[in-house]
Amino acid sequence: MRLYLNTARACHGNWSLTVQGTFCEGIHLVSGDVGSGKSTLALMMAGLLSPTDGSIGQDGISSSMIALQFPELHVTGTTVAEECRSWGLDPESVLGAVDLMDKSDTPPLSLSRGELKRLYLACILSGQYDLLLLDEPFSSLDCREKERLCEILARRSGGIIILFTHEQTSFPRVDHIWEIQGGVLIDCGELPGALVRWEHAPALIKKLISAGRCPKNISPGDLMEAGCRT
Amino acid sequence: MIELSGLRYRTIGINTLTIPPGITSVIGPNGSGKTTLLRLLSGIAEPDDGEIHIEGKSPRVTDVGWVNEFPDKNILFVRASDEIASTLRFHHTPCRETDNAVLAIAESMEITHMLNRSMRELSGGEKVLVALAAALVHRPRLLVLDEWDSHLDEGRCLKIEQLITACQVPYVIRCTQQMETASRGDHLLYLEQGHVVQSGTPACVFDSLVHTPFYPMSWRCSI
Repeated sequence: MRLYLNTARACHGNWSLTVQGTFCEGIHLVSGDVGSGKSTLALMMAGLLSPTDGSIGQDGISSSMIALQFPELHVTGTTVAEECRSWGLDPESVLGAVDLMDKSDTPPLSLSRGELKRLYLACILSGQYDLLLLDEPFSSLDCREKERLCEILARRSGGIIILFTHEQTSFPRVDHIWEIQGGVLIDCGELPGALVRWEHAPALIKKLISAGRCPKNISPGDLMEAGCRT
Repeated sequence: MIELSGLRYRTIGINTLTIPPGITSVIGPNGSGKTTLLRLLSGIAEPDDGEIHIEGKSPRVTDVGWVNEFPDKNILFVRASDEIASTLRFHHTPCRETDNAVLAIAESMEITHMLNRSMRELSGGEKVLVALAAALVHRPRLLVLDEWDSHLDEGRCLKIEQLITACQVPYVIRCTQQMETASRGDHLLYLEQGHVVQSGTPACVFDSLVHTPFYPMSWRCSI
């Protein structure tokens, strides 16, 4: 299973993004500054935005899904239960798992932001996709829910999962890190080697590395192990 | 001081709470009432019962800057520069003064390249930056930030924090799901089910959360 970025380019006005690389099975993390083009790249990978130049190719990918940055954009149902059914899911099984059972008859847009994010992430993660694109999946989630999402992602087997995020401390173990800098996608490589090349690494990871305690990966467990290392 | 007494609204129930000047972070599980509390403090919502006084005044007669995590909900104008200028224009500030203030805040936030762009074209994080500029441009007495940092990179957050400090806004109340951000404020409120369970300095409040996922990772790693 492969996703190929063949010098694909997106541009508007003076802004442009050029991406080249191959994404294999596993969990990938893409970071970059505000406005660098993370969401644009996610949309191109999902086939929702055509590159102005170059192309994006797939090999062995038969299903794909994108979780958009803003959860309101996913809403189609007038109640939470209807929203679950719109994904072809049984509301009871989805809502019980994310502690929203008592909100079943509530309009989705009346939920708090975190609750809405929990709802649509639960709907998306109920499916198995060869290519799963998650744009800022941790935003709005509280610390417990971030932990739970990391556990769910770690349990998924097979497929290409790509996280586009500004998150600082809650990550699952990832296989590969990429970052967007100066309008270009840079391949930082596989873990743990990628960490020392990762310009956008959160301050905590940079501090651990400069203290000579480079973590093996970026999950909370790996960070704590590195922090407690003597 | 910001003083809350006998506050009742939806799930919120706060008997008494005093928020001193400075940067106050609000944390808690999803659905604990953080946004509802911020809406009450900013005057967007009015309590069913109880009172809020900001330096003795009600929120609706206080100059408040408000930034929503989903800035699309608050966007009024097409062009970013008009969006930033809107607060001053609603106050009938002279045109030249408005233009100068918009340019000054955009320069200090390093977003001058966005001024002539359409709001629709901006990324999620860029919209938050424009909303923040619109909230800061009239130098409010109270700045309310609702998970403003969840779409911004860490470096940008730190720069914005410095800018907010430089603007000398007397009260900044921000809800966040980044505990590293919360650990940098002056005060911290921890909410559960509409109630303020803990209130105090970050060190004091986090001390009570040491066995929960809310404890900052950098503190756990002793870095």
